[in-house]
Amino acid sequence: MENLKYSEILQQNRAMSQNDNGATYKVTILANITTNSIKELLEYQLRINNLNPIVAFGNFDTIVQDSMNCKDSNLVIIFYDMLTIVNGLSDFFESLPDDFFITLKNKIFSEIDILFDNLKDCPSVIFNSFSSTAFISSFVFKNNLDLFVTDLNKYITEKTQNNVSFLSLDKIIAQLGINQAFDFRLFHSSKAPYTIAFLKKYVLAIEPIILRNTGKLKKALVFDCDNTLWKGIIGEQNADTLEMSNRTKDGSIFKRIQQLAVYLSRQGVIIGICSKNNESDIAEIFANHSDCILKDEHIIIKKINWDDKATNLRSIAKELNIGLDSIVFVDDSSFEINLIKEQLPEIVYLQVPNTLTEYPNSLLKLVYSYFNITINKDDIQKTEIYKQQFLRENVRNNYKSIDEYLASLGIVVSIFRNEKSQIARISQLTQKTNQFNLTTKRFTENQIATIIESSIHQVFSASITDKFGDNGLTLICILQTDNSNKSTAIIDTLLMSCRIIGRNIEFAFMDFLIQKLLEQNFKTIYAEYIPTNKNSQVESFYDNLGFTVLEKTKSVTKYSLNLLDYNFKKIDYITTEF
Amino acid sequence: MISTQDKIKNIMSIVFEVPQEHITETSSKDTLENWDSLRHLNLIMALEEEFDITIPDEEVDNLINLRLIELIIHDLKN
Repeated sequence: MENLKYSEILQQNRAMSQNDNGATYKVTILANITTNSIKELLEYQLRINNLNPIVAFGNFDTIVQDSMNCKDSNLVIIFYDMLTIVNGLSDFFESLPDDFFITLKNKIFSEIDILFDNLKDCPSVIFNSFSSTAFISSFVFKNNLDLFVTDLNKYITEKTQNNVSFLSLDKIIAQLGINQAFDFRLFHSSKAPYTIAFLKKYVLAIEPIILRNTGKLKKALVFDCDNTLWKGIIGEQNADTLEMSNRTKDGSIFKRIQQLAVYLSRQGVIIGICSKNNESDIAEIFANHSDCILKDEHIIIKKINWDDKATNLRSIAKELNIGLDSIVFVDDSSFEINLIKEQLPEIVYLQVPNTLTEYPNSLLKLVYSYFNITINKDDIQKTEIYKQQFLRENVRNNYKSIDEYLASLGIVVSIFRNEKSQIARISQLTQKTNQFNLTTKRFTENQIATIIESSIHQVFSASITDKFGDNGLTLICILQTDNSNKSTAIIDTLLMSCRIIGRNIEFAFMDFLIQKLLEQNFKTIYAEYIPTNKNSQVESFYDNLGFTVLEKTKSVTKYSLNLLDYNFKKIDYITTEF
Repeated sequence: MISTQDKIKNIMSIVFEVPQEHITETSSKDTLENWDSLRHLNLIMALEEEFDITIPDEEVDNLINLRLIELIIHDLKN
């Protein structure tokens, strides 16, 4: 995938989608940034692995709320990004007061708690580490942002829940460099900070988790011997001159390969040998060579003979009773590698790189992609100690439900009517809002100005703040009235920016609106839902509020409501100001 | 050699999932159903990679039809 252009990936993904026949694998992405471009990249990589992908996205910046609806996902990926957290603050990060940091930190901790709890039955969750790398900060002096991020990450690592994988964003950024990983232009226009190059790396980074979860992991790692486990050819030179120790430059590289093989054998990976040699020569090395740390005890199966390697690998698979697709094969010879490529395409292989210094990392990359490496007992114990320590120190609130959580936010809805200074923003919202938009009518600034001036319209707008920042003007409602019949009103437009969905703000606003209309002696209100490709989430909005359906066709549903019948939702944790 | 316009057409056809022959010089957000703000992002990224350019901020919103895209890319390449 790394060598393909974005457009090529789109194209090949689409072509592959014509014959999806693998198992369905559903990924849900919850994010407080725009990550939609990852969709096709992820689909592509899943299809390469013979899975039939469904990639779904939560709403923008409603990670906690959406985490309740992920029960049918095989994998949930969470992008809880510092960029958006910092962007939503009212002041420069370094100048914020200490108590604010504590409050903000506790808010995020609570969100993580609820999130992990909501997702505890999900087969697999990937949570990205918090990163301050995108922000230019001092290289030397302590700064609040770095400390803040360190604390958040500490919380996550100590929290460990066995279905959650914690992914280091900084490592991916480091592989590319900040300039290649971020596109601030697209962050400021569309809240999409990451480049395609980054998203490609990201997909490759999470691939092992997907392979692990779908039973596509490998079981055996089979090595050739000469120039693969040591430098030199045993049939041509004295065994003493084979290099596999720190005494020589190349020897130290092969020593690392052997160390890795020993480690893997302890992790339960089957280590095998497949080599064209005299069996006794090789046996002598594993038994008695003082530099050789890979010993017989680590090796489960050996095929040392002069038969071709395809035959030998086949019999290895047969004897171990594993599939050929469970084998990874390492050899230095192009001839052997090509033979395997042609005859046994199911086998993943690594050819020892010409530049020998790249060998350990190439092998490690393969190992981390295809084998299940668990941390050792000491690490697990250490985490346990941290966890207990943390619980003792932990004195903050634990929110038990979404409602309690929302209540803790201190949401304030400030409502304006016919506010001329907002014409530009109101028009923009009608142009841009697609999801929570009941009628999807688009208005230019001029049209909005005219509507505000007109005597038969009332334009309501609302800006939303909570104790962590200002979401700005994000809700619009245009009401149409009739000068000859003062008792009825029509909701011409009702929309809300997706960034505030999931906080019950729409209900608080409807309470307000109906109250206002009652005060103005209105009796009946009419409303419409006009379906588009994108607004199905508000399909039942008016039904849920108790409106009566007057007429329902494919292109519109018409409603009415006797205002006196309205059931006020009375959401006590949202303050409405007018 | 493939012309710049054909390359752009190809990218647009891939990003918006429409056959190339449906894309005309004046195809825009109004005529191509799939051309929404998210796909617009994908279009920008695919074009930048294809032509090895960086489309400046102020031009991002001007990429509204094939002809304008071609003009902007032409300017950036020279």
